[in-house]
Amino acid sequence: MTTIMNSFKPHEKRIARKIKETTDIFTIEIDMESNSYPGQFYELSILGIGEAPISAASSSSEKLKFTIRSIGHVTSKIFEQDVIGVRGPYGNYWPFKEYDRILAIAGGIGIPPIRALIHELEGKKDLWVIYGARTPSDLVYKYEFDQWRNKANLILTVDRGDESWNGKVGLVTKYIPEIPDLKNMAAFLIGPPIMMENSVKDLLKYGLQPENIFLSLERRMECGFGVCGHCNVGHFYVCEDGPIFRYSEVSNLPELFL
Amino acid sequence: MIYSLNAEEMAQLYERISKEFETYGTVDIQGDITFSRIESYDELRIGRSDKPPKEFLIGRNENVLVFTEPNKKAVFGVMSCDLKGFYIMDKQIYGKDPFYTARRDNTVFINYVCTEPCETGFCSSFGGPLLNDYQIQVINYENDKYLIYADDAYKSFFEGFKQASKEEISKVEKLMHNFNMKQKKHEVEGIENRIKWNSKLWDEYAKICIQCGACNYSCPTCYCFDLNDVGEERFREWDSCILAGFTKTSAGNPRESLASRLRQRFYHKFVYYKKSKGEYLCTGCNRCTDDCPVDIEIKEVIDHDYNNE
Repeated sequence: MTTIMNSFKPHEKRIARKIKETTDIFTIEIDMESNSYPGQFYELSILGIGEAPISAASSSSEKLKFTIRSIGHVTSKIFEQDVIGVRGPYGNYWPFKEYDRILAIAGGIGIPPIRALIHELEGKKDLWVIYGARTPSDLVYKYEFDQWRNKANLILTVDRGDESWNGKVGLVTKYIPEIPDLKNMAAFLIGPPIMMENSVKDLLKYGLQPENIFLSLERRMECGFGVCGHCNVGHFYVCEDGPIFRYSEVSNLPELFL
Repeated sequence: MIYSLNAEEMAQLYERISKEFETYGTVDIQGDITFSRIESYDELRIGRSDKPPKEFLIGRNENVLVFTEPNKKAVFGVMSCDLKGFYIMDKQIYGKDPFYTARRDNTVFINYVCTEPCETGFCSSFGGPLLNDYQIQVINYENDKYLIYADDAYKSFFEGFKQASKEEISKVEKLMHNFNMKQKKHEVEGIENRIKWNSKLWDEYAKICIQCGACNYSCPTCYCFDLNDVGEERFREWDSCILAGFTKTSAGNPRESLASRLRQRFYHKFVYYKKSKGEYLCTGCNRCTDDCPVDIEIKEVIDHDYNNE
């Protein structure tokens, strides 16, 4: 008789390190090696409370890391745990192997899979990153920005500056035209729907091909492997067909930017 | 193989199967046809069950953290509209959901094919009750005569039984043809192209729908479930795409309006599944309509003239 693996059952893993990023965002490092590529997600759980789908913030050669905004039942409690349930990875990843020049645009708490990408590529490709947050105090990974600048061209921007901020101000779309030879790049987008929608519009305007624009979508991925039915966008399930979608394949789905 | 049995041999067949499988079947409980454990063939009452048999494969309420190898079960009396539901759901969940997969592999469904159309069902719009996919398919075409299509995996149960003659097979085929002619047809083919995203139907339904979820519960093809923790256990519970919480995340709810959720249900059935799996997620059983307290009709969704609203 074949032994069946129970795909619903998480592995109990120790949280090895916790970093407070902002007032409501924190990073945890799990006591296990990453076995995922940037863009893939895991289901993290606290027994008795529930599960939440979270994208990995780590590259494939780091310890598994997650950066989480504490907002839901599970995410508001994870930081207090010593041990959590982990299952995954699920879904596909950014198609970074196919492109030599990549523009990554991340808004708010969309940044973790782009952090993973920066560490995955290790400066080996022409990577540009535009990372926008509401205010300077909402930016995460500040302690890594110097390191990132050795691996990528980094553009940081905030919607509203403060007295400590002497960097760029404005939406991420404002800085897209600063990227050289834009139309031959691939774009990887992740963040609030309105940010992605406006970024896509502008990228198309600047001549990027719809086949070379990729979006990371977020829905209620409960099971992670295509059986619970909660995360459909049109005829796709985000958990198994995504979370990364080629824009040309989803551009006509009416619920795309909800 | 196709066999020809009489009523006495049917009882023998049951005996043979019951030596290897735990037996279940439809029984009559005070007028309600319900699936239940049965100990003898006499207990079986053929008729459309109030609820589809999907609970044999998808637990309505079960702890998914503990997986146990399922018992081998034989389920007698499964109607074609319900059996077909499993073959359709297989395309999305077989091989992925470990519980569903193990139970599917360990369950034999003995399908009893209707020979007369039921009051509200419209299975002939989906090809009729004689199915191409089955394990054991029984047609009680005359009083004491049963034609049985059986997958070769079960041929040991049929040792010594007569193979069906050409005449018997053609008699059944004629009967099935008549069944399909008698039942009113609904033009399902092409619905994925006719249906409209902004149809007034969704708003009309939203005005009357009370969000009870009965349509999902009674559907032989609705497979969605929710996961909820209670203490040390994580429960799978059948879920309903009509309920507001179905798509809610910490980032918001992509289907806040009831009209958008009703549309989702019909789009999943007639557009999305057709696109992703090549099949409609509906078998024409009509339970969703029969059980709907406000009479939202799935047939109307199929028949509606979307171009001339």
